[in-house]
Amino acid sequence: MGQKKVLMIGIKKEKKMSSRFEILLKIKANKPDLLDLPIIDETVFYEDIDHISEFKKKVEIVGGNVFESSSNQDVINQVKSLYPSTALNFSVLEGTEAFNTIDLNTLKKPHDLVDLDVLILKGTFGVAENGAIWISDKQLLVRVLPFITKHLILVIKHSDIVPYLHQGYELLKGKDNDFGVLLSGPSKTADIEQSLVIGAQGALSLSVFLMQD
Amino acid sequence: MSHSKAATLFNENEAKVNWHDKALWFVRHKRDLSAHAVKGWESLRQLGSQIKAHTLSNLDNYLIQFEENALKNGIQVHWAADGDEHNRIVHSILKASNVKKVVKSKSMLTEECHLNPFLEADGIEVIDTDLGEYIVQLAKEPPSHIVLPAIHKTKEEVDELFQKNIGTKPSGGDPQYLTNEARKHLREKFIQADVAITGVNFAVAETGEFVVCTNEGNADMGAHLAPIHIACMGVEKLIPKQEHLSVFLRLLARSATGQPITTYSSHFKRPRKEQKMHIVLVDNGRSVQLGRPDFRASLQCIRCGACMNTCPIYRRSGGHSYNATIPGPIGSILSPGKDLKKHSSLPFASTLCGSCSDVCPVKIDIHKQLYKWRQIITKEVPQPIVKKISMKMMGNTFSKPNHFKKVGKIARWSLRHIPKSIINSKPNIWGKERDLPDGPKESFDDWYKKRKKDEQ
Amino acid sequence: MDVLFFNKKIMKVGLFIPCYINQLYPQVGIATLQVLERLNIEVVYPSKQTCCGQPMANSGYENESVGTCNNFINNFKGFDYIVTPSGSCAYHVKNHYNIIDQTVDVINVRNNVYELCDFIVNILKVKNLKAHFPYKVGIHKSCHGLRGLRLGSCSEIVGESFSSIEDVLNEVENIQLMPLTRKDECCGFGGTFAVAEEAISVKMGKDRIQDHLNNGVEVITGTDTSCLMHLEGLINRNKQPIKVLHVAEILNNIIK
Repeated sequence: MGQKKVLMIGIKKEKKMSSRFEILLKIKANKPDLLDLPIIDETVFYEDIDHISEFKKKVEIVGGNVFESSSNQDVINQVKSLYPSTALNFSVLEGTEAFNTIDLNTLKKPHDLVDLDVLILKGTFGVAENGAIWISDKQLLVRVLPFITKHLILVIKHSDIVPYLHQGYELLKGKDNDFGVLLSGPSKTADIEQSLVIGAQGALSLSVFLMQD
Repeated sequence: MSHSKAATLFNENEAKVNWHDKALWFVRHKRDLSAHAVKGWESLRQLGSQIKAHTLSNLDNYLIQFEENALKNGIQVHWAADGDEHNRIVHSILKASNVKKVVKSKSMLTEECHLNPFLEADGIEVIDTDLGEYIVQLAKEPPSHIVLPAIHKTKEEVDELFQKNIGTKPSGGDPQYLTNEARKHLREKFIQADVAITGVNFAVAETGEFVVCTNEGNADMGAHLAPIHIACMGVEKLIPKQEHLSVFLRLLARSATGQPITTYSSHFKRPRKEQKMHIVLVDNGRSVQLGRPDFRASLQCIRCGACMNTCPIYRRSGGHSYNATIPGPIGSILSPGKDLKKHSSLPFASTLCGSCSDVCPVKIDIHKQLYKWRQIITKEVPQPIVKKISMKMMGNTFSKPNHFKKVGKIARWSLRHIPKSIINSKPNIWGKERDLPDGPKESFDDWYKKRKKDEQ
Repeated sequence: MDVLFFNKKIMKVGLFIPCYINQLYPQVGIATLQVLERLNIEVVYPSKQTCCGQPMANSGYENESVGTCNNFINNFKGFDYIVTPSGSCAYHVKNHYNIIDQTVDVINVRNNVYELCDFIVNILKVKNLKAHFPYKVGIHKSCHGLRGLRLGSCSEIVGESFSSIEDVLNEVENIQLMPLTRKDECCGFGGTFAVAEEAISVKMGKDRIQDHLNNGVEVITGTDTSCLMHLEGLINRNKQPIKVLHVAEILNNIIK
């Protein structure tokens, strides 16, 4: 009786392995001779342009708004004038706790953020060629935050803007993030007769605040 | 139904054809503006092509590396030999947690496997949350384009669908209003969902992470709320290193819609605390296509849809006329590999103009593969006897100079003397909407011989 | 006959006249020959030529074209260059003659077959043919020549603009080259596609013609009579106020 059980476990294991085994076997048999991986020479892409103004231009092209700011409190003040009477607000910026009307520590589940109005986060770096900003989970206390909020504000330093995505991934080398997102503009769709609508399932607006260092 | 029959039906409404053609050409045009603004664009395409070709030549090892790293990251990895097994795997994950409500972001792979009907047959609710996918889901149609699923639907048609299914007020197809209403409705679905299913744009072997690109944020609204996230991918979506994302993310959105990048490019590496993350690696014929040297490059596809937007035939016949999960030029080289007979008309739904190959961000030689599939189909799929005979006759005529001259003379005489009403009668398909040229008295050959004689 | 002085080594050029031009549009063949002879080229027209084999091969029957390919090679081996007023035929010989034994003759023929404007601009290094054509002309950039042989830059590829047909037409006296809305969209001929997918073929052709009409074109021209035959068939059926001429016919319209 004991022997039969062991045999059955063996067969069950083999059955579980078989698709993986079958697929890898087929691929090994059918793949061509190894081709070289190309070397990426980024210099062929470089242009002598002002990357900060390119970044600003691209953020606007993708439907975001760009502002300059001198301090965290200044960001709060500008945000308050953009969105005067919002109920649920949260900012990660140092020294701006007074702005917050929710406490993420008391959050039971991410779903409770469904009515979040205004969210202010810090970006790690920005990419001039496409107006994208990288946010990792290290800055996101709750992953759904930048997507579930109604209005999103991202703060980024001038010196953290890189020209191309290649430099962005250089910065990410060796950084072990559980989750990260390259975020470019407010959510949007053109699925109804190609008419662009800003505000789909994610944030309805994106405001980027550029800070001097 | 063959492509040509479906296309003929589509062309009965010329106004609709013009509308559909213009809509897609506009997307092609936006792609042009975007690509032409990137210094080194052609180098980028070359890199994309070479990275993908290299990956395919080492695919088994990269899959093993990806699995190892994904498992270390806490992602459960499943392997599905075909579409049915993929569906069973997804279903069993759902069943194990008694799942009733699923939200799904765009995944052509799940379309290919026909996942929705499989789950719905067991009473599981699956909501497609990409607005275009949601529209065709309500219309009970398959998507007609891999990036713009509802491109064939007018705003008035969408308005009616929404009125009927989610109780919107008649708005004459106001995109802003309809999108807002969809947002409200889908937001509730995200909150209630037990499982989020997403596709995968790129999976990175080096790190065991995968990237999902959307403009709407629907993949993230699903994945960051639901306690279970299942990502479904074809095995060819792998890339070797994280740094290669720079190449593909620069190419993808520009080729697809002309945007510099999608709004969200979400990099998933580990599940969030208390969340279960699964990835299902699907073969479903890809390993077989890998073994076809002439057609292997079709597996480089990053599903941007640029070939569809540029194809003059796709624009004038619509995605549904291809009767394949992936339509258009890329679909016409992938589908025959899966079912040669069913899809035998697709490689002929082309003039081999080559535009698709030139917009493809990973330089797949689509038009060359279409030509090659034609040679195979005429040998392996029964062809109309008239076609076979006429080809043999032509081959015969053109290899015998004297015969060619005789046939040419008869053709010219016929065009000169047979009444137009007979020439342009029903059997002459050309003559339905076009005149044939007049038959000249002399061929070039006749003229040349005469000139030579006169000179002597 | 006017003879343009041409200072180059003596080259032996074989003239390939595509099958449908030979039978249905001999005037295009005649114009091509006269343009080349005026450039002081020794042109030989091998009399046993028939066809390049495309019609069968593009329809998936390349096997049935082997006899035709061999006949082509037999006629054109031994020439320095083979010139033809057809981008698609030149493309076919260059790219699809891999189905026959690659003898030295076959390789030489494949390497040295040229479409007419390509030959004039890139081999003879001439652009001005002293032609005269005081009309508004729209260029139809046939696909096999354009994206197949790269006879010119196409709108999809990011790079420098170039075009051998534009080069020669730009030098034609009093010609007005009209810009089109879609510079290089396919006309919809596509060989047997014209019949197998008749509805789309016709629609594509009609759209091309409308683009030319919308942009004030009086004469549509191009390197390939296959495309032009398809467009002309539609124009004649629909009695549209626009003419069609092969580029060789325009280049042969010399200043007297």
